[in-house]
Amino acid sequence: MKSTKKKSNLFLTIMGDEKRQKITIPLFAILLSLIAGAILMLSLGKNPIEGYLSLLKGCGLMMKKNYAGGKGMLTDFMSFLDIWTPMIFAALAVAVAYKAGLFNIGVSGQMLLAGFVASLTVGYSDLPAVAAKPLTIIIGMIVGALAGSLIRLLKYKFNINEVVTAIMLNYIFQYIISFFILTYYVHPITRQSNVVSDASRLTLQNVQIGNMKSVIPLGFILAIVAVFALSYFINRTRVGFELKAVGANKKGAIYAGINANKSIMIAMALSGALAGLAGVTYYMGYVASIQPKVLISTGFDAVAVCLLGNSNPIGIVASSFLVTIISKGSIYLNSSLGLPKEIASLITGLLLLFTACDVYIKYRLKKAKDHLEYEEKEAQRYIEKYGEQKKEGEQ
Amino acid sequence: MNEIIVNGMSFSIPLFIIAVGGIYSERSGVTNLALEGFMGAGAFFGALFTALTAGVFASTSNLPMYLSLFVAMAGGALYAIIHAVLCIKFKANQVISGVVVNILAMALTDFLTSQINESVLGHSADKFILNVFPRLTVESLTGIPVLGGFFTNAYIFEFIIIAVAVVAWYVMYKTRYGMRLRACGDNPYAVDAAGCNVGRIQFAAVMVSGALSGLGGMCFAYSVFGHYSTSIYAGYGYLAIAALIFGNWKIPATLGACLLFGFARAAGYSLIQYLELPGTYSDLIMILPYVLTLLLLMIFSKNNRAPRALGEIYDKGKR
Amino acid sequence: MSEYIVEMRHVTKRFPGIVANDDVSLGIKKGEIFALLGENGAGKSTLMSILFGMYEPDEGEVYVRGKKVETFSPNHATELNIGMVHQHFKLVSNYTITENIILGMEPQKKKFGFLPVVDIKNTNKKIAELSKKFGLEVDPTQKIENINVSMQQRVEILKMLYREAEILIFDEPTAVLTPQEIEFLLEIIREMRRNGKTIILITHKLEEIKQVADRCAIMNRGKLIEICDVAETSTKKMAELMVGREVSFTQEKTPCKPGEVMLKVENLVVKNADGFPVVNGVSFNIRSGEIFAIAGVAGNGQVEIADAIAGLAPAAGGKVILDGQDITNSPVKARNKMGIAYIPEDRQTWGLILDFTLSENLLLRRYDIAPYCVNGVLHREHFTEKSEELIEHFDIRSGQGGQTIVRSMSGGNQQKAIIAREIDLDTPFVIFVQPTRGLDIGAIERIHSQIIAERDKGKAILLVSLELDEIMNLADTIGVIYNGQLLKIAPAETMTSNEVGQYMMGVKE
Repeated sequence: MKSTKKKSNLFLTIMGDEKRQKITIPLFAILLSLIAGAILMLSLGKNPIEGYLSLLKGCGLMMKKNYAGGKGMLTDFMSFLDIWTPMIFAALAVAVAYKAGLFNIGVSGQMLLAGFVASLTVGYSDLPAVAAKPLTIIIGMIVGALAGSLIRLLKYKFNINEVVTAIMLNYIFQYIISFFILTYYVHPITRQSNVVSDASRLTLQNVQIGNMKSVIPLGFILAIVAVFALSYFINRTRVGFELKAVGANKKGAIYAGINANKSIMIAMALSGALAGLAGVTYYMGYVASIQPKVLISTGFDAVAVCLLGNSNPIGIVASSFLVTIISKGSIYLNSSLGLPKEIASLITGLLLLFTACDVYIKYRLKKAKDHLEYEEKEAQRYIEKYGEQKKEGEQ
Repeated sequence: MNEIIVNGMSFSIPLFIIAVGGIYSERSGVTNLALEGFMGAGAFFGALFTALTAGVFASTSNLPMYLSLFVAMAGGALYAIIHAVLCIKFKANQVISGVVVNILAMALTDFLTSQINESVLGHSADKFILNVFPRLTVESLTGIPVLGGFFTNAYIFEFIIIAVAVVAWYVMYKTRYGMRLRACGDNPYAVDAAGCNVGRIQFAAVMVSGALSGLGGMCFAYSVFGHYSTSIYAGYGYLAIAALIFGNWKIPATLGACLLFGFARAAGYSLIQYLELPGTYSDLIMILPYVLTLLLLMIFSKNNRAPRALGEIYDKGKR
Repeated sequence: MSEYIVEMRHVTKRFPGIVANDDVSLGIKKGEIFALLGENGAGKSTLMSILFGMYEPDEGEVYVRGKKVETFSPNHATELNIGMVHQHFKLVSNYTITENIILGMEPQKKKFGFLPVVDIKNTNKKIAELSKKFGLEVDPTQKIENINVSMQQRVEILKMLYREAEILIFDEPTAVLTPQEIEFLLEIIREMRRNGKTIILITHKLEEIKQVADRCAIMNRGKLIEICDVAETSTKKMAELMVGREVSFTQEKTPCKPGEVMLKVENLVVKNADGFPVVNGVSFNIRSGEIFAIAGVAGNGQVEIADAIAGLAPAAGGKVILDGQDITNSPVKARNKMGIAYIPEDRQTWGLILDFTLSENLLLRRYDIAPYCVNGVLHREHFTEKSEELIEHFDIRSGQGGQTIVRSMSGGNQQKAIIAREIDLDTPFVIFVQPTRGLDIGAIERIHSQIIAERDKGKAILLVSLELDEIMNLADTIGVIYNGQLLKIAPAETMTSNEVGQYMMGVKE
């Protein structure tokens, strides 16, 4: 009994007050999942430290032993930025909906739709880069926003659970687009959609830097801009404030005179637009074609990233960085140490699991704190009651 | 016509039992988006069982296939504990928990499938091959128009599932446990006041949900895929959720919804064959159940009555 | 063996911040109707929840039939034949009456000789018989969602009787009933006494106690004041004891100098979610410089009146006119800008956004106007400035000033924050609903003087309170609500608290 009390005290001290817990709880979840990952690697007979280092090496964050010709740490790093970009957008998409109290599980579908429509309209045109790239971005945002709004509209008009709608739409987009690709736009050899024009692509290919050929993900700049813009929007604008209020307490928001329905609609449109950006930076940036019948996992992993980053844009930069290292680095992990690629998604899955426990950790911490305070009070009362009696007795 | 019935049934019936699983969890008040994960995890255990015991039984024996259904149920129930612990014990957001459980199921089974194939079975593969599940034709009934189709070339698991569903219906509507379970979904405080342990009832309901989903998933693996791999995560769990919402959280009505999905899909495929359209058109058929779900939900969601306490985090101390 | 069937010795129960029961000792005799009288928050319900096993006492012992109670759980209480009808019914809405009654101890039969099924059919008959025996006639096959509140209460009573309860606790059973239904319930309670049951009645209505109870324990602020014989004690005496020997402070107050009519409510009707009119044709005026107080027992429609005026609940009929303008259908924000400030009853659900900072909450009404918001951009520095001013002026205490997350603040300081925000709006009309609920004496006093100060500035004030003391202390005009209607509107000085109390209970027309 005594020892458990002491342990919880220590835990409480480390985890800090409610404000600090916003950072310490995700860190705790990360720690747990990394430990779990280490155990996994150990059980497969590999050195976990080497494993984690090879993840970093695979992402161009550490020097590999040797590189193929024309490649180097920089090329790895650029490629890492390239795949990190859609993840940032996707997690921001989840976050902005979550701030308004909604769960956008349809990010993957919205990404696909935006990527597909932008490919058709811009990617297969012969517009010059100067017109094509902005147009790709704009179309991606609009399509995504429409798809996001549709989910809200169905909820508002017909009271359909937004999670079910989003999931149904994911599949509908996936199969319809797959049909169109296979019927009209399929590349006979790759069995994927035809490659979009380089002019429309948001990642510059084969750029000569020194003696290396690298990609330059323009979308990454956009993503960083989006992070700060969204942070500003949520924290510094009236509309963002209203949206957050609706998410935190809908009744309280209505009391304050906020039009809750409007706020939620704005949030879903914005969420969709960000998902659309994730879509174009993936399908017309990192890759240049769409694989039919496949819904990429980015939109789902983004849920993890968002939760882990406390749905705070800056937090998301950190959490998406981590998750992308795990997923991107897993290729090198596989080739250098022979560890299975699947281990990466497993670590991410566990990370998600531990993150979902945050309510419980918070609850335990609060309980431990209350218990401490209660004991303190009891002790004080005891002193007041019996301490005084003792004095009287002495007299 | 018979072909539509055979294909329709072999899709509808596994979907139905997954939906019944969902009903168990949701009628007890626990939102369950985790059916997809339960289904995949359950099927994984079932398929693993057949792979590991391949040498134990005679190659002609159908027994391992029947046993695999039980193993899938046990595995699904076991995996469902994660959702139960998160939702009931840890009081996590039930929607988030469901999504987490699904993602984890896919990652975990994917990892384990390739690991076990490599290290235990000694060949690298990302799937377990399954035998062909026995089918049944009741000769005396096949002559009956339309109805005969249900007894022609039907997978035997369809009959097993129907039996399990009848038991599930009986337990939910006729027994003490079922009565308490449904009460939890409406007003858990009333159940607590009646001296029952709400957490335990819900925990069991989520595990039943996992077992039934595992059974459905295993049957899908046999019928739709013919093997076990991560391709089993094709969204049928989510489709089952749509079916149970459409069925208003009632078992018989949900059967109707599942039949509708299954037959729409089967009829679509037959239509493509009949019109001799290219194979890519099958993708259009694939969306039928999903589009149908949305359309039907548009019509019925307004009048639908979810269990009153669904998704509510039950806190005993609250009054 | 003592003469008591239930005995509580030196029971103390503390909750964070308050002592709900402070060294309470009492004994209840078999076969009597024992009343527990006290105001809201006097600790009656907590004491009986201990007897029913929902809480464990921090100190003291409980004896039932002379045996010390060791385990505190509702299940154990049921085994001791103790039953409780809670203030909020615990019923499953889509179940029939029978199903609700048997939940938890369902009788089974074997179908086909082996299949256990819950036996509803035979139980229906049994329940019908049981209900007839106690004069509680119900149709056992009706669903809860289709029957009214008084029927639902009968179901709760039948639940106890079905479990063969000998000691029956009623927690404020008449709060939700009409006068006729109350009569009926009291008759049932007498009938149960005739059947040898022991009844414990928690209430703050003297009238009822006078009618049925044998003995009455009076509680005030967690302490047992006295146990008296009802037949030998006058209502007046009991009322005095209930209000407390700790002489409740009276607020220094200058006479009211009312001005023009600020708010006019005409024939207001408000319906609840089920379409039932909880406010049914209410009309009144409030003048500038006047405190108009609505007195009434909880749940009679007073909160809905306030919500309808503030725009949180739609008016199903009638008019609300503020300063000559019809605002019946205006959105919340428009009403706010036109001059309504509102301190709502439920501060945590409506009044605050708990996960926002104190500073944000203090600006919840003004975040969208200059200087706090210019061209859609918030100016946090003005937030800080304003909130610091309010924190200072209203003495709101918190860990990290304006940056504190409101959830972590104490209830009293949360309430101070709401009052600060709303009073600072300086609107000509302010609504206070239960402004002092759950607060300690110091805080109550401060809020009371703030309300009077606002009145003296010439504001029109609507005060809704369940505390009679508060109303008698503050009101210039009192309207008494009963069953969604104002039974009486009169200047405060023309009414005694006793009279108001009688109107509140609907006994005086």
